Amino acid sequence: MKKTKLGEFEELVLMTVVVLQADAYGVEIKRELEDRLNETLSVGSIQSALKRMEEKGFLTSEFGEASQKRGGKRKRIYQATPHARKVLQEMKDVRSQLWAAMPGIATN
Amino acid sequence: METTKDNIQPPRWSLRLLRFFLKKDYLEEIEGDMEEVFEDNIAQHSLRKARRIYNREVIKLIRPNLVRGITGYHKLNYIGMLQHYLLITLRGFKRHKTTFFINLIGLSTGLAASLLIFLWVNDEKSVDTFHEKNDQLYWVFANFQLPNSTLTWDYTSGLMAESLKEEFPEVEDAVRIGNSHFFKPEGVISFKETNFEIDGLFASQNFFEILTYPVVIGDKSEILKGKESIAISEEMAISVFGSIENALGKLIDWENQFFNKTFVVKGVFQAPPSNASNQFDVVVNYDQLVESDKWAAAWNGGYAQTFLLLKEGTNIDQFNAKIENFMDNKVNNDRFSLFVQPYAKNYLFGKYDNGIQVGGRIENVRLFTIVALFILLIACINFMNLSTAQASKKMKEVGVKKAIGANRKALIFQFLSESILLSLFALTLAIVLVNLFLPQFNEITSKQLEINIFQFIKPIIGVALITGVLAGSYPAFYLSGFNPVAVLKGKVSNLKGEEWIRKGLVVVQFVLSIVFIIGVITINRQIEFTQSKDLGYDRENIVTFTRKGQFDRDPQIILSELNKIPGVISAGNMAGEFLWGDDNGSGFSWDPSTDEDNKYLFKSPKIGYNVIETLGLEIIEGRSFSKALNDDNSKVIINESAVKLMGLKNPIGKVLDYGKEETREIIGVVKDFQYGSMHQKIEPLIFRFRNSGANYVVKLQAGTETISLQKLEDIYQEFHPKYNFTPSYLQDDYLALYSTESKVASISNYMAGIAIIISCLGLFGLAAFTAERRTKEIGIRKILGASQVVIVRLLTGNFTKTVLISIVIALPLGYFIVDNWLHNFAYSVGLKWWFFAFAGIAALLIAWLTVGFQTFKAAMINPAQCLRNE
Repeated sequence: MKKTKLGEFEELVLMTVVVLQADAYGVEIKRELEDRLNETLSVGSIQSALKRMEEKGFLTSEFGEASQKRGGKRKRIYQATPHARKVLQEMKDVRSQLWAAMPGIATN
Repeated sequence: METTKDNIQPPRWSLRLLRFFLKKDYLEEIEGDMEEVFEDNIAQHSLRKARRIYNREVIKLIRPNLVRGITGYHKLNYIGMLQHYLLITLRGFKRHKTTFFINLIGLSTGLAASLLIFLWVNDEKSVDTFHEKNDQLYWVFANFQLPNSTLTWDYTSGLMAESLKEEFPEVEDAVRIGNSHFFKPEGVISFKETNFEIDGLFASQNFFEILTYPVVIGDKSEILKGKESIAISEEMAISVFGSIENALGKLIDWENQFFNKTFVVKGVFQAPPSNASNQFDVVVNYDQLVESDKWAAAWNGGYAQTFLLLKEGTNIDQFNAKIENFMDNKVNNDRFSLFVQPYAKNYLFGKYDNGIQVGGRIENVRLFTIVALFILLIACINFMNLSTAQASKKMKEVGVKKAIGANRKALIFQFLSESILLSLFALTLAIVLVNLFLPQFNEITSKQLEINIFQFIKPIIGVALITGVLAGSYPAFYLSGFNPVAVLKGKVSNLKGEEWIRKGLVVVQFVLSIVFIIGVITINRQIEFTQSKDLGYDRENIVTFTRKGQFDRDPQIILSELNKIPGVISAGNMAGEFLWGDDNGSGFSWDPSTDEDNKYLFKSPKIGYNVIETLGLEIIEGRSFSKALNDDNSKVIINESAVKLMGLKNPIGKVLDYGKEETREIIGVVKDFQYGSMHQKIEPLIFRFRNSGANYVVKLQAGTETISLQKLEDIYQEFHPKYNFTPSYLQDDYLALYSTESKVASISNYMAGIAIIISCLGLFGLAAFTAERRTKEIGIRKILGASQVVIVRLLTGNFTKTVLISIVIALPLGYFIVDNWLHNFAYSVGLKWWFFAFAGIAALLIAWLTVGFQTFKAAMINPAQCLRNE
């Protein structure tokens, strides 16, 4: 976790990839996140986060089927690596430990 | 691209841009994503909006990790290549130490010299530009028509500012200050028991609002209100009152040549910075000058300097046309024509000839900028020559690199980065050098320059980069152009042409150096000439000093005291500085048949008794002013030129009409002498009589100077207890007239030296290289019986030819340049043939000396040694 850091936005994207499973390609990730965050995101921000995480070894990807809808361009389907799942788990643990340690705020 | 249904497509330009900058690998996926988003948007919004969103999205896609590299589609190991270049470069430096040091020393001295000059030029250009409204600030000038010439004055009537403001809507505001040549109050300010000698300024109330010297305490529109107010500088406030706050409201006495009065301190301002042309410690209202001299507020009189704040967007040419004849009905003649020019411009462009702007300090700024560029050029040429000369050593490297696929661009980049790296090394060294020599440079230029690296970081780095590129471009293109097959086979083509270029570059260097030598000789000879020329009066052992402040006693009392000192040969007093040569007067009429003659402007210093004798001026007819005969201002003495101008046969006793009622009788004629500096011609001159002049000239007996000066000071203190005695020798003051030229001369000396040294360094490197390359040839020649003399001649012959060509080109060029420069002087030393001969022979000798060492080393070589190694 120390070596390859995961930014906040990257973490969100990564989790969306896990959630979407076989549907996890650029635009679908964008839609899903836009729904959940209730704000507009640009293709650029999603794509650069994906590429960065792929470089860091959090994601792997391969081309999917070509479809009519995208002007004949293939989708690229992303998948989280085991390492990424481990890092996500670690971050969640750290967070919940911190939440538990925060005084005065009820964690119900 | 395949079209989607209904021909609805994303904007074409954006798509092209997208395809252009995206990494090839990502293109299909992202383009598809973009299209999908676009289709979604069309479903939701209008087509236009969808396209707009698309455009925006494309821009947002320009991110470092999505954008492809600058060259090629392949991901190259740029860092690795850069490391490789660096390694090769550093190894090259290490292997060819001589070349490296020659280049480094040459470039760093060149850069250091140019940096110093850059600092100086920058400072010169910044003078007077610091006022907040500098863009709108203009200075009113007047051209004054004389019968045969036009004078340009930077001063005008004291009424000018107010009435220009009233009559012309373009004028937003106007300020008048006391003419800084003649109406600058000096004298002594006293607070309690302490006295301070100061420089003052008369200025109208709005002075600080227009010329924005920062006001530290006080309201800037109020501090000059009324004749009793005074504003003093921060430094003054601290030295007189201990602190700035203490100064406010205090009463101080000020005695000067105009008044003796008590003032209230109303404000404190920051003294003008060193790059202000007008320096002063205190400011009082201009009305104070009017009170002591009513002509300060009259149309006839040049008591004030007028600065205008023109409205933004004013057309200056039109405004100048409007004000040109403004003075005509104020003074009832049309001899004045007014014009304005930017306030800060006057410092650099302050010289006028017959009413036409003809340069000024800008000439030196230009001169030195050119000199700096040439020095840099000389240093760059060294680099070019040495790198191309050593091309044979680089050939194999280039050949191998090309063979394994390096393209020409990459090689050019490599060689350029090599030269840029070198120039950055040189820059570092140059900055050290500049820091080392800045104090001396400041002394020569009498400036307070500082080098603030961070302030000048951009131009400095810029110059270093340009130098690197300039020096490296020719070698880079030359070296990268080799044909790999030929090079690796060992065939080298085109060596002849390359050698020609190299020779041409050496010629450029030597032409520049020789021109520098000629320039330096001429400047120094001219200065020597001005310093030693017989001016028609004595300068040795003559001391001058000025009486300051108010003085109502007869100067004859002081003079008689002075004459009692045993070491004093003679003493006199006069008005105005004798050396400045700027005392003019008209109104003398010698020809009753015409009215025109009284407009002629004579040089007309006002002197007392004994001045002619003290200065050793030669009376060739008549007599000098005499106390015994009670001569007064109805008598004048004229010089030979004036006699000639008036066409008088018997000048003695001739009575000139002067004004309506008065007359002036000529009682003597003096031999022509140089009044003022040698920039001016000897002109017709009339000595007027003035008993009360404040400048004293005293001739001392040689050898008694120290004692006599002490006694002079005692007498001075007796009459002027508040003032410091600041005598100066006429000889020193005379030399100071040429301070600009002396500065130019000493900077030129150094710069020429640097230019020559750098050129020689280059030549030295080339000679070493040639000798090395021809070792085998020399060995064979020696075996076949060539003597050392033959070898030396063989090796020097080429260089001699090059230098001779340079001499042929440089002499006429140098002649043209120095001839032009000497036109600045009315009396110049005259060009002698030996200036040029000396420069040429010097260049040749220096070249031989430089080459000689290498040559002799080569000639002494033992042929067995050099032929054995293979």
